[in-house]
Amino acid sequence: MRLLAVTVSLGAALLVMTTANSYAAGGDAIFKKSCASCHYTDGPAKEKTIADQLAKKGPELFYAGSKFQKAWLAAWLQNPKPIRPMKYNSLTEKNKGDHPKSSAGDAAALTDFLMGLTSPEVKAGVIKPAESPQAKAIFNKKMPCTGCHEFSLKGELHGGKSGPSLVGVSKRLNPDWIYAYLANIKVFKPVRDMPDFSSALSPKEMENVAAYLATFE
Amino acid sequence: MSRFVIIATMVFGLALSAAGSAQAADAKQMFDFYCAQCHGVNGDGKGVNVGKDFATDPRNFTIAADMEKRSDEDIRGVIKDGGPSISKSPLMPPWGATLSAAEVDGLLAHIRQLCKCKAK
Repeated sequence: MRLLAVTVSLGAALLVMTTANSYAAGGDAIFKKSCASCHYTDGPAKEKTIADQLAKKGPELFYAGSKFQKAWLAAWLQNPKPIRPMKYNSLTEKNKGDHPKSSAGDAAALTDFLMGLTSPEVKAGVIKPAESPQAKAIFNKKMPCTGCHEFSLKGELHGGKSGPSLVGVSKRLNPDWIYAYLANIKVFKPVRDMPDFSSALSPKEMENVAAYLATFE
Repeated sequence: MSRFVIIATMVFGLALSAAGSAQAADAKQMFDFYCAQCHGVNGDGKGVNVGKDFATDPRNFTIAADMEKRSDEDIRGVIKDGGPSISKSPLMPPWGATLSAAEVDGLLAHIRQLCKCKAK
């Protein structure tokens, strides 16, 4: 009887593992079929020149699991609203909001696949959402992120349009990734139109800015 | 012999001008990628980021009378260290950790082409 119970438990465990694996593989296969023409997932970053960056149709996703929040990603893939005001790599064309939609099942499988793509550059569980006078001063005046990034203030949109919007960062981005991106941007995007602020801001200032952005509704 | 010298000189000249225009194309591409978001593709200060909230007008590089007042060193410095380095707006961020010295020189040359001017 005991032997039977152990065998059944082992069998069940094996079944769960197999199912989990095939689920993840499913996301990988869906990605290859539906997403890989615009996004790449095999890091490290491939771009060496501006032309390399301009040839990309969408952002690289090899660190998606460190960058995004899982619940947001699963919901966004089913109902993808523009994150950038402008079309990717364009300063003249607006973002038409024409990113393909995924079914609930595909979105779940894709989310599992993408959330598995993590970066060793991102230390998990360090940065907690928090406002601070220092971060507000940097964000608005000292190194104004507002010049290029849209944000919401009392329900109204403000700021520039060339960068991705900062509206809803609290639900979209992982605060630890925001810090890593500020501190070591070249690892994630070697060629980009955002300056490297790592020598202009101290680690503490970057921590505070990351924590502040993580409060953005 | 003299014919050989003429041909060699022509070939050399052509190679030089090709290298020059490639460099100019690179500078234009860099300008469009890094600077045009605020300074505009035409360098007139009308980039896509410049809206109601933009606290200052980005420099219009096509006005020679203004640009003549800026030394090459000032322009290099403001690209590398940002607006506050010459008491201008922090909306001009520091690009020194992003761009090489040669790239900054390329951008300076492109800006001087936009204003069709030199420092006075």
